[in-house]
Amino acid sequence: MRPLREVAIAGAGLTRFDTYDGEKGRVFKEGYELGMEAILNALQDAGMEWKDVQAAFCGTVYQNTGSGHQAIDQIGMTGIPIVNVENACSSGASSFRLAYQSIATELYDVVLAFGYEKMPRGFIRSTAWPLWQRAMGFNVQPANYAKGAVRYMEETGATEEDFARVTVKNRKNGALNPFARFQTEVTMEEVLSSRMIAKPMRLLHCCPLADGGAAIILCSKEKLRSKGKVITVAASILNSGVYGSETGGTGSTYGGGSVRIHDDLVELSAKQAWEMSGYGPEDMGVVEAYDTMAPGELWDIEKLGFCKKGEAPKLLREGALNINGRLPVNTDGGLLSRGHPLGATAGAQIIEIYRQLRGEAGARQVPEDPKIGLAHSMGAGPNSSITILKR
Amino acid sequence: MMTSAAKKVPVKEGLWSVPSSPHEKPQLIGSRCLLCGEVFFPKKASGVCTHCQSRNLEEIKLSTRGKIYSFTVVMQRPPEYYKGPVPYAEGFVELPEGVRVETLFTDCNFDDLKVGMDVELVIEKLYEDEEGNEILAFKFRPLTSRKGE
Repeated sequence: MRPLREVAIAGAGLTRFDTYDGEKGRVFKEGYELGMEAILNALQDAGMEWKDVQAAFCGTVYQNTGSGHQAIDQIGMTGIPIVNVENACSSGASSFRLAYQSIATELYDVVLAFGYEKMPRGFIRSTAWPLWQRAMGFNVQPANYAKGAVRYMEETGATEEDFARVTVKNRKNGALNPFARFQTEVTMEEVLSSRMIAKPMRLLHCCPLADGGAAIILCSKEKLRSKGKVITVAASILNSGVYGSETGGTGSTYGGGSVRIHDDLVELSAKQAWEMSGYGPEDMGVVEAYDTMAPGELWDIEKLGFCKKGEAPKLLREGALNINGRLPVNTDGGLLSRGHPLGATAGAQIIEIYRQLRGEAGARQVPEDPKIGLAHSMGAGPNSSITILKR
Repeated sequence: MMTSAAKKVPVKEGLWSVPSSPHEKPQLIGSRCLLCGEVFFPKKASGVCTHCQSRNLEEIKLSTRGKIYSFTVVMQRPPEYYKGPVPYAEGFVELPEGVRVETLFTDCNFDDLKVGMDVELVIEKLYEDEEGNEILAFKFRPLTSRKGE
Protein backbone atom coordinates (compact mmCIF):
# COMPACT_ATOMS: atom_id res chain seq x y z
CA MET A 1 0.00 0.00 0.00
CA ARG A 2 1.31 3.48 -0.81
CA PRO A 3 2.07 5.78 2.14
CA LEU A 4 -0.93 7.59 3.56
CA ARG A 5 -1.12 11.37 3.81
CA GLU A 6 -0.92 12.73 7.33
CA VAL A 7 -4.34 13.72 8.72
CA ALA A 8 -4.86 16.43 11.34
CA ILE A 9 -7.73 17.32 13.65
CA ALA A 10 -9.01 20.71 12.49
CA GLY A 11 -11.40 21.18 15.39
CA ALA A 12 -13.94 19.47 17.61
CA GLY A 13 -17.20 20.22 19.36
CA LEU A 14 -19.53 18.63 21.90
CA THR A 15 -22.93 19.32 23.38
CA ARG A 16 -23.37 18.87 27.09
CA PHE A 17 -24.39 15.22 27.56
CA ASP A 18 -27.70 15.40 29.39
CA THR A 19 -31.38 14.48 29.26
CA TYR A 20 -33.15 16.67 26.69
CA ASP A 21 -36.70 15.35 27.11
CA GLY A 22 -38.51 18.57 28.07
CA GLU A 23 -39.83 16.95 31.26
CA LYS A 24 -39.52 18.22 34.85
CA GLY A 25 -38.20 21.60 33.71
CA ARG A 26 -35.53 20.09 31.46
CA VAL A 27 -34.83 21.54 28.02
CA PHE A 28 -36.27 19.66 25.04
CA LYS A 29 -34.04 19.09 22.03
CA GLU A 30 -34.45 16.82 19.04
CA GLY A 31 -31.57 14.42 18.40
CA TYR A 32 -30.64 16.16 15.15
CA GLU A 33 -30.43 19.49 17.00
CA LEU A 34 -27.75 17.93 19.23
CA GLY A 35 -25.88 16.84 16.09
CA MET A 36 -26.19 20.33 14.61
CA GLU A 37 -25.00 21.99 17.83
CA ALA A 38 -21.90 19.76 17.96
CA ILE A 39 -21.08 20.57 14.31
CA LEU A 40 -21.38 24.34 14.88
CA ASN A 41 -19.12 24.06 17.94
CA ALA A 42 -16.57 22.09 15.90
CA LEU A 43 -16.59 24.66 13.07
CA GLN A 44 -15.95 27.43 15.57
CA ASP A 45 -13.14 25.44 17.20
CA ALA A 46 -11.59 24.80 13.77
CA GLY A 47 -11.97 28.40 12.59
CA MET A 48 -13.66 27.04 9.48
CA GLU A 49 -16.78 27.83 7.48
CA TRP A 50 -19.42 25.18 6.74
CA LYS A 51 -18.60 25.50 3.01
CA ASP A 52 -15.05 24.24 3.73
CA VAL A 53 -16.42 20.78 4.57
CA GLN A 54 -16.29 18.40 1.58
CA ALA A 55 -17.93 15.25 3.00
CA ALA A 56 -19.66 14.11 6.20
CA PHE A 57 -20.02 10.82 8.06
CA CYS A 58 -22.61 10.56 10.83
CA GLY A 59 -22.79 7.80 13.46
CA THR A 60 -26.10 7.04 15.17
CA VAL A 61 -27.84 3.88 16.41
CA TYR A 62 -31.44 4.63 17.41
CA GLN A 63 -32.17 7.68 15.22
CA ASN A 64 -34.19 7.94 12.05
CA THR A 65 -33.21 7.21 8.48
CA GLY A 66 -30.87 9.92 7.24
CA SER A 67 -29.84 11.03 10.70
CA GLY A 68 -26.80 12.90 9.39
CA HIS A 69 -28.90 14.60 6.74
CA GLN A 70 -31.37 15.84 9.37
CA ALA A 71 -28.64 17.47 11.44
CA ILE A 72 -26.86 18.98 8.44
CA ASP A 73 -30.16 20.23 6.98
CA GLN A 74 -30.27 22.64 9.96
CA ILE A 75 -27.00 24.19 8.74
CA GLY A 76 -27.41 23.91 5.00
CA MET A 77 -27.22 21.31 2.29
CA THR A 78 -24.28 21.99 0.00
CA GLY A 79 -24.30 18.93 -2.24
CA ILE A 80 -21.56 17.15 -0.27
CA PRO A 81 -21.94 13.41 0.33
CA ILE A 82 -23.43 12.56 3.72
CA VAL A 83 -23.09 8.93 4.81
CA ASN A 84 -24.87 7.54 7.86
CA VAL A 85 -23.02 4.89 9.85
CA GLU A 86 -24.56 2.44 12.31
CA ASN A 87 -21.92 0.36 14.09
CA ALA A 88 -23.48 0.17 17.56
CA CYS A 89 -21.37 1.88 20.24
CA SER A 90 -18.49 2.14 17.74
CA SER A 91 -20.63 4.19 15.29
CA GLY A 92 -18.83 7.46 16.08
CA ALA A 93 -15.40 5.84 15.83
CA SER A 94 -16.38 4.19 12.56
CA SER A 95 -17.42 7.59 11.17
CA PHE A 96 -14.11 9.04 12.32
CA ARG A 97 -12.21 6.26 10.58
CA LEU A 98 -14.09 6.79 7.30
CA ALA A 99 -13.31 10.51 7.47
CA TYR A 100 -9.68 9.75 8.26
CA GLN A 101 -9.40 7.34 5.33
CA SER A 102 -10.90 9.75 2.83
CA ILE A 103 -8.30 12.41 3.71
CA ALA A 104 -5.36 10.03 4.11
CA THR A 105 -6.04 8.68 0.62
CA GLU A 106 -6.34 12.26 -0.74
CA LEU A 107 -9.94 11.97 -1.85
CA TYR A 108 -10.87 15.04 0.23
CA ASP A 109 -9.03 17.66 2.29
CA VAL A 110 -11.67 18.59 4.91
CA VAL A 111 -14.18 16.04 6.25
CA LEU A 112 -16.66 16.05 9.13
CA ALA A 113 -17.09 13.02 11.40
CA PHE A 114 -19.91 13.39 13.89
CA GLY A 115 -22.45 11.42 15.86
CA TYR A 116 -25.40 12.02 18.10
CA GLU A 117 -28.09 10.17 19.99
CA LYS A 118 -31.30 10.79 21.81
CA MET A 119 -31.58 7.66 23.92
CA PRO A 120 -34.70 5.62 24.64
CA ARG A 121 -35.21 5.27 28.41
CA GLY A 122 -34.46 2.11 30.42
CA PHE A 123 -31.95 -0.63 29.71
CA ILE A 124 -30.02 0.03 26.51
CA ARG A 125 -31.99 -1.98 23.99
CA SER A 126 -30.12 -4.34 21.79
CA THR A 127 -31.90 -6.07 18.97
CA ALA A 128 -28.73 -7.94 18.04
CA TRP A 129 -30.10 -11.14 19.61
CA PRO A 130 -32.50 -13.61 17.92
CA LEU A 131 -36.07 -13.31 19.18
CA TRP A 132 -35.98 -16.57 21.18
CA GLN A 133 -32.89 -15.39 23.06
CA ARG A 134 -34.61 -12.12 23.89
CA ALA A 135 -37.61 -14.14 25.12
CA MET A 136 -35.20 -16.02 27.40
CA GLY A 137 -33.89 -12.73 28.82
CA PHE A 138 -30.39 -12.84 27.33
CA ASN A 139 -30.35 -9.32 25.86
CA VAL A 140 -29.72 -7.33 29.05
CA GLN A 141 -26.47 -5.35 28.73
CA PRO A 142 -25.61 -5.08 32.44
CA ALA A 143 -26.15 -8.85 32.68
CA ASN A 144 -23.67 -9.47 29.90
CA TYR A 145 -21.04 -7.39 31.69
CA ALA A 146 -22.00 -9.11 34.95
CA LYS A 147 -21.12 -12.50 33.44
CA GLY A 148 -17.81 -11.07 32.24
CA ALA A 149 -17.21 -9.60 35.69
CA VAL A 150 -17.84 -12.99 37.35
CA ARG A 151 -15.25 -14.59 35.07
CA TYR A 152 -12.81 -11.72 35.67
CA MET A 153 -13.21 -12.11 39.46
CA GLU A 154 -12.73 -15.87 39.14
CA GLU A 155 -9.58 -15.57 37.00
CA THR A 156 -7.87 -12.55 38.62
CA GLY A 157 -9.17 -12.34 42.19
CA ALA A 158 -10.65 -8.87 41.53
CA THR A 159 -13.38 -7.80 43.96
CA GLU A 160 -16.58 -5.78 43.88
CA GLU A 161 -14.58 -3.04 45.66
CA ASP A 162 -12.22 -2.89 42.67
CA PHE A 163 -15.18 -2.29 40.36
CA ALA A 164 -16.59 0.37 42.71
CA ARG A 165 -13.20 2.11 42.73
CA VAL A 166 -13.46 2.60 38.94
CA THR A 167 -16.77 4.42 39.39
CA VAL A 168 -15.38 6.56 42.22
CA LYS A 169 -12.34 7.61 40.12
CA ASN A 170 -14.34 8.35 36.99
CA ARG A 171 -17.05 10.28 38.82
CA LYS A 172 -14.30 12.35 40.45
CA ASN A 173 -12.93 13.17 36.98
CA GLY A 174 -16.43 13.81 35.64
CA ALA A 175 -17.00 16.40 38.36
CA LEU A 176 -14.34 18.46 36.52
CA ASN A 177 -16.02 18.08 33.09
CA PRO A 178 -18.70 20.68 32.23
CA PHE A 179 -19.96 18.47 29.35
CA ALA A 180 -20.56 15.35 31.50
CA ARG A 181 -24.03 14.04 32.36
CA PHE A 182 -22.95 13.54 36.00
CA GLN A 183 -20.73 16.21 37.52
CA THR A 184 -20.81 14.98 41.10
CA GLU A 185 -18.52 12.64 43.00
CA VAL A 186 -19.69 9.41 44.64
CA THR A 187 -18.20 7.41 47.52
CA MET A 188 -17.30 3.72 47.68
CA GLU A 189 -20.19 3.23 50.12
CA GLU A 190 -22.66 4.83 47.71
CA VAL A 191 -21.55 2.58 44.86
CA LEU A 192 -21.57 -0.60 46.96
CA SER A 193 -25.01 0.12 48.40
CA SER A 194 -26.62 1.19 45.11
CA ARG A 195 -29.39 -1.02 43.70
CA MET A 196 -28.34 -4.41 42.35
CA ILE A 197 -29.12 -4.57 38.60
CA ALA A 198 -27.51 -7.87 37.56
CA LYS A 199 -25.36 -9.51 40.21
CA PRO A 200 -22.59 -8.34 40.85
CA MET A 201 -23.34 -5.18 38.82
CA ARG A 202 -25.03 -2.37 40.71
CA LEU A 203 -26.65 0.80 39.41
CA LEU A 204 -23.52 2.91 39.95
CA HIS A 205 -21.40 0.41 38.03
CA CYS A 206 -23.50 1.22 34.94
CA CYS A 207 -23.00 4.24 32.69
CA PRO A 208 -26.02 6.56 32.77
CA LEU A 209 -28.25 7.20 29.80
CA ALA A 210 -27.64 10.56 28.18
CA ASP A 211 -28.48 12.46 25.01
CA GLY A 212 -25.74 14.33 23.20
CA GLY A 213 -23.68 15.06 20.12
CA ALA A 214 -19.98 15.05 19.24
CA ALA A 215 -18.34 16.39 16.07
CA ILE A 216 -14.76 16.30 14.78
CA ILE A 217 -13.47 18.01 11.63
CA LEU A 218 -10.45 16.31 10.09
CA CYS A 219 -8.23 17.83 7.42
CA SER A 220 -4.90 17.70 5.63
CA LYS A 221 -2.25 19.67 7.52
CA GLU A 222 -2.17 22.53 4.99
CA LYS A 223 -5.88 23.19 5.55
CA LEU A 224 -5.49 23.79 9.30
CA ARG A 225 -6.77 27.19 10.46
CA SER A 226 -6.82 26.79 14.23
CA LYS A 227 -4.00 28.52 16.11
CA GLY A 228 -3.80 25.72 18.71
CA LYS A 229 -1.24 22.92 18.86
CA VAL A 230 -1.30 20.65 15.79
CA ILE A 231 -2.75 17.22 16.54
CA THR A 232 -2.53 14.43 13.96
CA VAL A 233 -3.91 10.90 13.72
CA ALA A 234 -1.24 8.25 14.42
CA ALA A 235 -3.57 5.26 14.12
CA SER A 236 -7.21 4.59 13.27
CA ILE A 237 -8.25 0.98 13.66
CA LEU A 238 -11.56 -0.86 13.45
CA ASN A 239 -12.00 -4.58 13.97
CA SER A 240 -15.33 -6.31 13.92
CA GLY A 241 -15.81 -9.80 15.34
CA VAL A 242 -13.01 -12.33 15.43
CA TYR A 243 -13.64 -16.04 15.86
CA GLY A 244 -13.03 -17.37 19.35
CA SER A 245 -12.98 -13.97 21.06
CA GLU A 246 -15.13 -13.32 24.08
CA THR A 247 -17.80 -10.83 23.04
CA GLY A 248 -17.57 -7.52 24.82
CA GLY A 249 -16.50 -9.05 28.10
CA THR A 250 -19.64 -11.13 28.30
CA GLY A 251 -17.92 -14.39 29.04
CA SER A 252 -19.40 -15.89 25.90
CA THR A 253 -17.14 -17.11 23.15
CA TYR A 254 -17.93 -15.74 19.74
CA GLY A 255 -18.44 -18.90 17.73
CA GLY A 256 -18.35 -22.40 19.15
CA GLY A 257 -15.70 -23.51 21.59
CA SER A 258 -14.55 -27.06 21.12
CA VAL A 259 -11.46 -26.12 19.09
CA ARG A 260 -10.28 -23.84 21.90
CA ILE A 261 -9.42 -20.78 19.87
CA HIS A 262 -8.63 -17.84 22.13
CA ASP A 263 -8.13 -14.84 19.92
CA ASP A 264 -9.19 -11.60 21.51
CA LEU A 265 -10.83 -8.77 19.61
CA VAL A 266 -9.37 -5.97 21.74
CA GLU A 267 -5.88 -7.49 21.71
CA LEU A 268 -6.10 -7.67 17.92
CA SER A 269 -7.06 -3.97 17.68
CA ALA A 270 -4.25 -3.00 20.06
CA LYS A 271 -1.69 -4.99 18.05
CA GLN A 272 -2.77 -3.25 14.84
CA ALA A 273 -2.81 0.19 16.53
CA TRP A 274 0.75 -0.25 17.84
CA GLU A 275 1.88 -1.44 14.41
CA MET A 276 0.24 1.42 12.54
CA SER A 277 1.44 4.15 14.91
CA GLY A 278 4.88 2.77 15.66
CA TYR A 279 4.18 3.47 19.35
CA GLY A 280 3.68 1.17 22.30
CA PRO A 281 1.65 1.34 25.52
CA GLU A 282 4.55 3.06 27.33
CA ASP A 283 4.28 6.07 24.96
CA MET A 284 0.67 6.93 25.87
CA GLY A 285 0.26 10.02 28.08
CA VAL A 286 -3.53 9.78 28.35
CA VAL A 287 -6.06 7.03 27.63
CA GLU A 288 -9.82 6.78 27.10
CA ALA A 289 -10.78 3.19 27.91
CA TYR A 290 -14.21 1.68 27.43
CA ASP A 291 -16.09 1.86 30.75
CA THR A 292 -19.70 1.34 29.71
CA MET A 293 -19.73 -0.77 32.90
CA ALA A 294 -17.12 -0.19 35.62
CA PRO A 295 -15.20 -3.50 35.36
CA GLY A 296 -14.84 -2.95 31.61
CA GLU A 297 -12.20 -0.28 32.22
CA LEU A 298 -10.05 -2.79 34.11
CA TRP A 299 -10.00 -5.56 31.54
CA ASP A 300 -9.82 -3.00 28.73
CA ILE A 301 -6.51 -1.49 29.85
CA GLU A 302 -5.16 -5.02 30.37
CA LYS A 303 -6.16 -6.14 26.87
CA LEU A 304 -4.77 -2.92 25.35
CA GLY A 305 -1.42 -3.94 26.83
CA PHE A 306 -0.93 -1.34 29.57
CA CYS A 307 -0.43 -4.09 32.16
CA LYS A 308 -0.73 -7.85 32.55
CA LYS A 309 -4.07 -9.58 33.08
CA GLY A 310 -5.30 -9.05 36.62
CA GLU A 311 -2.96 -6.13 37.39
CA ALA A 312 -5.34 -3.26 36.55
CA PRO A 313 -7.05 -3.25 39.98
CA LYS A 314 -3.61 -2.74 41.59
CA LEU A 315 -2.80 0.19 39.27
CA LEU A 316 -6.17 1.69 40.15
CA ARG A 317 -5.61 1.25 43.92
CA GLU A 318 -2.15 2.86 43.65
CA GLY A 319 -3.61 5.92 41.89
CA ALA A 320 -1.72 5.26 38.63
CA LEU A 321 -4.95 5.73 36.62
CA ASN A 322 -5.79 9.12 38.20
CA ILE A 323 -5.42 12.40 36.28
CA ASN A 324 -2.08 12.97 38.05
CA GLY A 325 -1.04 9.30 37.85
CA ARG A 326 1.42 7.76 35.43
CA LEU A 327 -1.36 6.39 33.17
CA PRO A 328 -4.34 8.77 33.33
CA VAL A 329 -7.48 6.88 32.19
CA ASN A 330 -10.86 8.46 31.41
CA THR A 331 -9.87 11.96 32.47
CA ASP A 332 -13.26 13.34 31.35
CA GLY A 333 -15.11 10.92 33.61
CA GLY A 334 -15.56 8.19 31.01
CA LEU A 335 -18.91 6.77 30.07
CA LEU A 336 -19.65 6.37 33.79
CA SER A 337 -19.83 10.18 34.20
CA ARG A 338 -20.29 11.44 30.68
CA GLY A 339 -23.20 9.13 29.94
CA HIS A 340 -23.66 7.07 26.81
CA PRO A 341 -25.46 8.62 23.84
CA LEU A 342 -24.41 5.71 21.60
CA GLY A 343 -23.58 7.58 18.38
CA ALA A 344 -21.75 10.39 20.21
CA THR A 345 -19.72 8.38 22.71
CA ALA A 346 -16.70 7.36 20.64
CA GLY A 347 -16.38 10.89 19.24
CA ALA A 348 -16.41 12.31 22.76
CA GLN A 349 -13.60 9.91 23.72
CA ILE A 350 -11.45 11.06 20.79
CA ILE A 351 -12.23 14.70 21.59
CA GLU A 352 -11.00 14.22 25.17
CA ILE A 353 -7.65 12.95 23.87
CA TYR A 354 -7.52 15.92 21.46
CA ARG A 355 -8.22 18.42 24.28
CA GLN A 356 -5.64 16.82 26.57
CA LEU A 357 -2.92 16.88 23.88
CA ARG A 358 -3.72 20.53 23.11
CA GLY A 359 -3.58 21.45 26.80
CA GLU A 360 -7.22 22.59 26.64
CA ALA A 361 -8.76 20.23 29.21
CA GLY A 362 -9.15 22.89 31.90
CA ALA A 363 -9.53 21.66 35.48
CA ARG A 364 -8.97 18.04 34.41
CA GLN A 365 -5.83 18.73 32.35
CA VAL A 366 -3.18 16.01 32.80
CA PRO A 367 -0.24 17.85 34.41
CA GLU A 368 2.46 15.88 32.59
CA ASP A 369 1.76 17.62 29.23
CA PRO A 370 0.79 14.46 27.31
CA LYS A 371 1.91 14.33 23.67
CA ILE A 372 0.31 11.03 22.58
CA GLY A 373 -3.00 9.49 23.62
CA LEU A 374 -5.32 6.59 22.80
CA ALA A 375 -9.10 6.18 22.72
CA HIS A 376 -10.72 2.73 22.61
CA SER A 377 -14.39 2.05 22.01
CA MET A 378 -16.26 -1.24 21.85
CA GLY A 379 -19.66 -1.97 20.44
CA ALA A 380 -22.20 -4.66 19.90
CA GLY A 381 -21.71 -6.53 16.69
CA PRO A 382 -19.02 -6.85 18.04
CA ASN A 383 -16.78 -3.93 17.14
CA SER A 384 -13.53 -2.63 18.60
CA SER A 385 -12.06 0.69 17.51
CA ILE A 386 -8.81 2.41 18.48
CA THR A 387 -7.72 5.95 17.67
CA ILE A 388 -4.23 7.23 18.56
CA LEU A 389 -3.61 10.97 18.33
CA LYS A 390 -0.23 12.68 18.62
CA ARG A 391 1.11 16.19 18.85
CA MET B 1 -57.84 -18.69 31.44
CA MET B 2 -56.65 -22.23 30.86
CA THR B 3 -58.65 -23.95 28.13
CA SER B 4 -58.57 -27.49 26.84
CA ALA B 5 -56.91 -26.13 23.69
CA ALA B 6 -53.85 -24.98 25.72
CA LYS B 7 -50.63 -26.40 24.34
CA LYS B 8 -46.97 -26.71 25.28
CA VAL B 9 -44.97 -24.67 22.77
CA PRO B 10 -41.15 -24.49 22.63
CA VAL B 11 -39.70 -20.96 22.63
CA LYS B 12 -38.15 -22.03 19.33
CA GLU B 13 -38.45 -25.28 17.36
CA GLY B 14 -35.35 -27.43 16.95
CA LEU B 15 -33.35 -26.31 20.01
CA TRP B 16 -33.80 -29.65 21.77
CA SER B 17 -34.87 -33.19 20.90
CA VAL B 18 -38.31 -34.42 21.88
CA PRO B 19 -38.01 -37.97 23.32
CA SER B 20 -40.13 -40.66 21.69
CA SER B 21 -40.20 -42.79 24.84
CA PRO B 22 -40.36 -41.97 28.58
CA HIS B 23 -36.91 -43.57 29.06
CA GLU B 24 -35.19 -40.96 26.95
CA LYS B 25 -34.30 -37.47 28.08
CA PRO B 26 -34.46 -34.36 25.91
CA GLN B 27 -31.08 -33.19 24.61
CA LEU B 28 -29.95 -29.91 23.09
CA ILE B 29 -29.36 -30.17 19.35
CA GLY B 30 -26.13 -28.76 17.94
CA SER B 31 -23.85 -29.05 14.94
CA ARG B 32 -20.37 -30.52 14.59
CA CYS B 33 -18.02 -29.64 11.75
CA LEU B 34 -16.68 -32.81 10.15
CA LEU B 35 -13.62 -30.91 8.86
CA CYS B 36 -12.31 -28.91 11.88
CA GLY B 37 -14.29 -30.54 14.69
CA GLU B 38 -15.88 -27.36 16.02
CA VAL B 39 -19.17 -27.82 17.89
CA PHE B 40 -21.99 -25.28 17.86
CA PHE B 41 -25.20 -24.63 19.74
CA PRO B 42 -27.77 -24.00 18.48
CA LYS B 43 -27.52 -26.02 15.28
CA LYS B 44 -26.13 -23.93 12.40
CA ALA B 45 -29.19 -23.27 10.25
CA SER B 46 -26.88 -21.88 7.55
CA GLY B 47 -25.10 -25.22 7.22
CA VAL B 48 -21.79 -23.31 7.26
CA CYS B 49 -19.05 -23.84 9.86
CA THR B 50 -18.30 -20.30 11.09
CA HIS B 51 -14.81 -21.41 12.17
CA CYS B 52 -13.49 -22.98 8.93
CA GLN B 53 -16.34 -22.20 6.51
CA SER B 54 -16.77 -25.84 5.47
CA ARG B 55 -20.29 -27.01 4.54
CA ASN B 56 -19.68 -30.37 6.18
CA LEU B 57 -21.79 -30.11 9.33
CA GLU B 58 -23.58 -32.95 11.07
CA GLU B 59 -26.41 -32.62 13.54
CA ILE B 60 -25.49 -33.88 17.02
CA LYS B 61 -27.24 -34.27 20.34
CA LEU B 62 -25.25 -32.54 23.11
CA SER B 63 -24.45 -33.82 26.60
CA THR B 64 -27.11 -33.03 29.17
CA ARG B 65 -24.62 -32.28 31.94
CA GLY B 66 -22.01 -29.54 32.16
CA LYS B 67 -20.40 -26.96 34.43
CA ILE B 68 -21.31 -23.34 35.07
CA TYR B 69 -18.79 -21.12 33.25
CA SER B 70 -20.33 -17.81 34.30
CA PHE B 71 -23.64 -16.52 35.61
CA THR B 72 -25.61 -13.52 36.79
CA VAL B 73 -28.90 -12.82 38.54
CA VAL B 74 -30.96 -10.20 36.70
CA MET B 75 -32.91 -8.11 39.22
CA GLN B 76 -34.77 -5.77 36.85
CA ARG B 77 -37.31 -6.73 34.19
CA PRO B 78 -35.86 -6.46 30.67
CA PRO B 79 -37.63 -3.85 28.51
CA GLU B 80 -39.48 -6.30 26.26
CA TYR B 81 -39.82 -9.90 25.05
CA TYR B 82 -38.93 -11.62 28.34
CA LYS B 83 -42.11 -12.67 30.18
CA GLY B 84 -40.70 -15.07 32.78
CA PRO B 85 -40.25 -14.39 36.50
CA VAL B 86 -37.90 -11.67 37.82
CA PRO B 87 -35.32 -11.94 39.35
CA TYR B 88 -33.93 -14.70 37.16
CA ALA B 89 -30.54 -16.38 36.90
CA GLU B 90 -28.84 -16.91 33.56
CA GLY B 91 -25.35 -17.64 32.36
CA PHE B 92 -23.12 -19.97 30.41
CA VAL B 93 -22.77 -23.70 30.88
CA GLU B 94 -19.75 -25.39 29.36
CA LEU B 95 -20.57 -28.85 28.04
CA PRO B 96 -18.01 -31.68 27.68
CA GLU B 97 -18.05 -31.03 23.91
CA GLY B 98 -16.43 -27.65 24.70
CA VAL B 99 -19.33 -25.51 23.58
CA ARG B 100 -20.68 -22.85 25.94
CA VAL B 101 -24.46 -22.66 26.05
CA GLU B 102 -26.22 -19.54 27.29
CA THR B 103 -29.07 -20.71 29.49
CA LEU B 104 -31.48 -19.91 32.28
CA PHE B 105 -30.89 -21.58 35.64
CA THR B 106 -33.70 -23.16 37.63
CA ASP B 107 -34.41 -25.16 40.76
CA CYS B 108 -31.67 -23.41 42.72
CA ASN B 109 -30.98 -20.82 45.36
CA PHE B 110 -29.50 -17.88 43.41
CA ASP B 111 -26.96 -17.22 46.18
CA ASP B 112 -25.57 -20.76 45.83
CA LEU B 113 -24.65 -20.49 42.13
CA LYS B 114 -20.91 -20.81 41.58
CA VAL B 115 -18.48 -21.02 38.67
CA GLY B 116 -17.65 -24.70 38.10
CA MET B 117 -20.90 -26.01 39.59
CA ASP B 118 -22.24 -29.24 37.98
CA VAL B 119 -25.58 -28.71 36.29
CA GLU B 120 -28.01 -30.69 34.13
CA LEU B 121 -30.50 -29.88 31.41
CA VAL B 122 -34.23 -29.61 32.02
CA ILE B 123 -37.07 -28.43 29.76
CA GLU B 124 -39.42 -26.16 31.70
CA LYS B 125 -42.10 -23.54 31.40
CA LEU B 126 -40.73 -20.09 30.58
CA TYR B 127 -44.11 -18.33 30.79
CA GLU B 128 -47.77 -18.75 29.88
CA ASP B 129 -49.05 -16.78 26.90
CA GLU B 130 -52.43 -14.99 26.57
CA GLU B 131 -54.15 -18.16 25.27
CA GLY B 132 -52.92 -20.18 28.24
CA ASN B 133 -50.25 -22.01 26.24
CA GLU B 134 -47.11 -22.97 28.13
CA ILE B 135 -44.04 -21.57 26.40
CA LEU B 136 -41.17 -24.00 27.10
CA ALA B 137 -37.45 -23.26 27.33
CA PHE B 138 -34.32 -25.21 28.12
CA LYS B 139 -32.77 -24.51 31.51
CA PHE B 140 -30.03 -26.02 33.66
CA ARG B 141 -30.29 -26.90 37.34
CA PRO B 142 -27.60 -27.79 39.88
CA LEU B 143 -27.11 -31.55 40.23
CA THR B 144 -27.02 -31.13 44.01
CA SER B 145 -30.65 -30.03 43.98
CA ARG B 146 -31.62 -33.60 43.05
CA LYS B 147 -30.40 -35.00 46.36
CA GLY B 148 -33.19 -36.70 48.25
CA GLU B 149 -35.17 -37.63 45.15
